[in-house]
Amino acid sequence: MIGKAFTSYWFPVLLIVPFLAIYGLIFIYPTISMFVLSFTDAPLIGSGNFVGLSNYARLFHDPRLLVALWNTAYFVILSVIPGAAVALLIALAVQRLSGRLQAAVLALFFLPFIVPVSVVYLIWDWILNYQFGIAMHWLDALGIPRVPVFKTVTWFMPAVALITIWWTCGFSLLVFLAGLRAIPAEIYEAAALDNASRWTTFRRITWPLLWPVTALVLTIQLILQLKIFDQVYLFSTGGRPNDTIVMVQYIFQMAFVDDHGGRAAAVAVTLFLIVIVVTLVEFQLLRLAGGGQKK
Amino acid sequence: MSDIKLSNVSKTFGIVSVIDDLTLTVKSGEFLVLLGPSGSGKTTILRMIAGLETIDKGTLEIGGQRCESLPPGQRQVAMVFQNYALYPHMSVSGNMAFGLENIGLGKAEIAARIAAAAKLLEMTSLLERYPAQLSGGQRQRVAIGRAIVKQPKAFLFDEPLSNLDAALRVRTRVELAQLHQRLQSTVVYVTHDQTEAMTLADRVVVLNSRHVEQIGTPMEIYHRPATRFVASFVGSPAMNFIQVKTKLNGKKIGIVAPSGKWITLPNASLGKGDVELGIRPESISIVDRDADATGQVKIIERLGERTLLHVQLDKGPLIIVQDSGLSKLNINSPVKLKFNVSQISLFGPDGKSSLRSAAS
Repeated sequence: MIGKAFTSYWFPVLLIVPFLAIYGLIFIYPTISMFVLSFTDAPLIGSGNFVGLSNYARLFHDPRLLVALWNTAYFVILSVIPGAAVALLIALAVQRLSGRLQAAVLALFFLPFIVPVSVVYLIWDWILNYQFGIAMHWLDALGIPRVPVFKTVTWFMPAVALITIWWTCGFSLLVFLAGLRAIPAEIYEAAALDNASRWTTFRRITWPLLWPVTALVLTIQLILQLKIFDQVYLFSTGGRPNDTIVMVQYIFQMAFVDDHGGRAAAVAVTLFLIVIVVTLVEFQLLRLAGGGQKK
Repeated sequence: MSDIKLSNVSKTFGIVSVIDDLTLTVKSGEFLVLLGPSGSGKTTILRMIAGLETIDKGTLEIGGQRCESLPPGQRQVAMVFQNYALYPHMSVSGNMAFGLENIGLGKAEIAARIAAAAKLLEMTSLLERYPAQLSGGQRQRVAIGRAIVKQPKAFLFDEPLSNLDAALRVRTRVELAQLHQRLQSTVVYVTHDQTEAMTLADRVVVLNSRHVEQIGTPMEIYHRPATRFVASFVGSPAMNFIQVKTKLNGKKIGIVAPSGKWITLPNASLGKGDVELGIRPESISIVDRDADATGQVKIIERLGERTLLHVQLDKGPLIIVQDSGLSKLNINSPVKLKFNVSQISLFGPDGKSSLRSAAS
């Protein structure tokens, strides 16, 4: 007989157990392991001895950490807000279109997002490669000397940021478009009757009403770009990986190239805390910026 | 002067014609109601006046100024939307100030106008609140306040009461009437609710599938409907319609009532053949003899102050007859009915009224 206790207590428990088991196995357990590992001198595979905080002490004396931190921060600055701005501009333009034309244009802008990173790398290497890149032929035609984009520190991060914006802004565009569609048409009609110019309408109606969506896009982008790895790794092969290194790449080098599991874990823990702190600060700042409005 | 003149206005959406050659004048200070079922084009007319829809053909004048190609903000009209369309991120006073800031009014002037409107609408205590913190009725007031502070040439209302509950609707209706008396402003008001039209309007425009059926005072619309559509649309319960034959008796013209009795109608311009007799439930009385029609009570609806009898005529359709609140009739009682001749409407096969003039 199925009792009341089963249906009201054990049955729900039964339903969430698979999720809890998988979540514990592939997130909670590795995270705890990472913290534990960061206090040992373990290699990449196998266990090590407890060494206290010495991994962290060594980390903060490693000049590569500063380079990786700065490059990551620089990349975030170059990609998060500019990327959101580009996506918003495109969303505002796409919203003015209607019907099939809108769907077609939207699809074109979204297309890069479904391309895998290796293909993104190939496409942009064909464009910006020093020897055979299409863009270099344009520079030749204009009489401007060629630029080794991925081999100079000056051009590397801006170029990778630009490519990242091109690659991922389709997603932000979709989120912005959904946000814009959620603003009722009557609000704009009321603004039109209130003699609001197009700029006033954007500044005083669209922007504040879209603010929660903008905050969401910025937060998602911030977390994503703090964890940047693939593009930087691919474009820096054959370039100057030690000068263009970012945080996750630093972890990768430490673990898979130098075979220092414990020290790599210490970097990972540091990045983990940075992501949490920066995101919390950003979230609070965004909330304050939109604080004049009540929902 | 703030009259509104629409001349030979047409509007199509794609290949669908919505308004066809409409000419309409709203007099200065008049409360004009556009009444019609959904899809009759009434909201489109309002939106064309506001500038939210383009006018394909024809001209629009507001207060003597040609407006059909002006943007909405420069037509000096204010609109109250069906769902209020308040700016959710602005306080009540911010909502009212927005339009005034956009025309470059000074801060002191804006504050004074908001204070005056808030006092008029008794919402001074709400000024710092946000729309989400207001009830439906309060939002409605803010929407009206936002219109008033602009001191427009005309107010445009798009079914403003349809989102309120029944009790609040009645109260707001009365307040709107008072407001209009006080401000003496030109109002164009769209509704599908005939009670609102009857109680608020100086004149009613009855619309049906993109053309005007009748323009007149509420009493003209009710008592002298120009078409069968107006007769059936206005009034609750609806007017009764009975097929009758016309008959010439010497020089007098008239109709044959269901009972076979001959009713003289000196004002009728009738041809030979069938017409439809229209008569409202309250214009039929129950009599002992000399009946125009006889029948049997089928359904009794007791509404308290009156009773509605659904009577199956012996020679004719099921009609509704109004009796006193204390009607003693029962289901299946036979009844004899007499029509109030002065309240009879006649409609020819084209649906148009066959009575010569409303005045006589």
